Amino acid sequence: MPDSIETTARVALSEVLPQELTPQAIDLDAELDHLGLTSLNKVLFLTSVCDRTQVGLHHFTEHDLAAMRTLGQVVEALSRHKEMS
Amino acid sequence: MSVINQLVSGPPRPGNRLSVARLGRTESWDLTEVWELSGRVAGYLLGLGIRPGDRIGVLAANSLEWVLLDLAALRIKAVTAGFDPGKFDVSGTELVTRYGLAVLFTDQDPTADRVRPVAAVRELLPSDADLPSVVWEHGDAPALKFTSGSSGPAKSLLASAGSIDSSLAAVQDMFAHGPGDDIFVFLPLSLLQQRYWVYSAFVFGHDVTISTYEAAFATLRTTRPTVVMGVPGFYETTRAHLEATAARTGASPPEVAVEVFGDRIRYLWTGSAPANPATLRYFTEAGLPIFEGYGLNETCIVAKNHPGAHRPGSVGRVLPGKEVLIDSDGVINIRGELPVATRYEHAEPGESEAMFRPGGIVRTGDLGHLDEDGYLFVRGRADDVIVLENGKKIIVRPIEERLKACAVIEDCVVTNPSQRQLVAIVSPTASHPVDTETIAAALRQTNAALGHDEQITKAVLADRFTVENGLLSSQFKPRRKQIEARYRGLVIDPEEGIRA
Repeated sequence: MPDSIETTARVALSEVLPQELTPQAIDLDAELDHLGLTSLNKVLFLTSVCDRTQVGLHHFTEHDLAAMRTLGQVVEALSRHKEMS
Repeated sequence: MSVINQLVSGPPRPGNRLSVARLGRTESWDLTEVWELSGRVAGYLLGLGIRPGDRIGVLAANSLEWVLLDLAALRIKAVTAGFDPGKFDVSGTELVTRYGLAVLFTDQDPTADRVRPVAAVRELLPSDADLPSVVWEHGDAPALKFTSGSSGPAKSLLASAGSIDSSLAAVQDMFAHGPGDDIFVFLPLSLLQQRYWVYSAFVFGHDVTISTYEAAFATLRTTRPTVVMGVPGFYETTRAHLEATAARTGASPPEVAVEVFGDRIRYLWTGSAPANPATLRYFTEAGLPIFEGYGLNETCIVAKNHPGAHRPGSVGRVLPGKEVLIDSDGVINIRGELPVATRYEHAEPGESEAMFRPGGIVRTGDLGHLDEDGYLFVRGRADDVIVLENGKKIIVRPIEERLKACAVIEDCVVTNPSQRQLVAIVSPTASHPVDTETIAAALRQTNAALGHDEQITKAVLADRFTVENGLLSSQFKPRRKQIEARYRGLVIDPEEGIRA
């Protein structure tokens, strides 16, 4: 799993979380809901990560998005498509 | 000819498109193709035995199929009942029974008797059924719609064709949608007003793009719409995102706004809940004019700012065919020449009588006034008035708006535990670090602008209000009673809270 995607995702997530958490402090397995991410901010977060990592958001459906419940799952999904592109 | 009767009278002019922009896939059809497909669906519905006045339910995410079913229903004078999958978690069979549906189409599992998969309507072959020539009278009801009450089961009402017509005609006069326009719709089509923009495309000749809440941000900039139909919560979140992006990249607000909305925006629409004035200013200054309006499910659109008549702080001038009457308590009452309805179809005993008054009048429960030029200003809910022990009446919404103007406060509810003091329950902004001192500074800043009786004694720092944690309604309005109940302990404890 490339570090760059995880690093970028951590930074992007920390920017939209309601509480102050450094990118490094975010638990990859924590539920995004429990971190206080609203549904709209989740979409913004994913859009932002896709932009910054140049992984097309078109790879994902609404169903895929709903299935990404943790930062780890987001990183894994993006990495899969980054490797394919 | 009325707008709805123009819509059902025949195919539209070619050259305008309906697009459905979902994550992973965008599809597009000329409106003449959509018309032809809806004719197949209308024939299919007739084959199922659907007759004028029968109710067709749709419990599904936004899709082409949703549009086809709604148009088909209009073409055979059936009634569309839209259910938002996010709000109705009962089975299709229960919806059929509860709301008297002849058939329900759904993208949920499972299907059952009179509950059919929505996907089936796309694959229909051309029908040889003779579709009737229909005329919608003003008093006919093409739609059963549901209110998003803050508690209890949803109320429903049958919306009149006349009210839909008058609203669409008034909107067209204000905004002149036409060739070159593409209206972006991402709120659920189960909301009747979101379907207006499909009707508008057919009648006034423009493009319309249907998306979903999840796909909106990803598809906006590629769609390059000219108009976005949003709600305050959407714009609040977008503004926070744009500000964070601008701070990170050094780009100007107009530059980052183009990255999200594309480069063709003519204006942004907001309504259904009060908008934060600072957010309205932000978008306007970023080159995206945003126009706030006012209306309830029970009244449809009452007032709307627009390019030809816009007064910041107001919700615009009152639309033709609507009359605003301010009663002796300062409550806004609406009289419509073509009322939406005169009663609820489904509601608790007494709720119809409390809302719908004789003479086509709706008592909104909102406080407001009209200025000398006819602009309507809404100051809050009548039940949001706090009466202090000295008899002074405090309308809390202007105080809450002042607090929300502070960068660290996203939302708040002002309450009074003792009739002597006001306490603010504060939802922090996601993008700003929050600590005791920043909240105290916000309180000092706000109190400096308030009168003696309006001073806020202390603030209680709450979790961020969200739809998910039950502290915001689905329309992104703070759920006052739930918030007060959750934080009552902190509000009344003299040892707790942040003081100015």
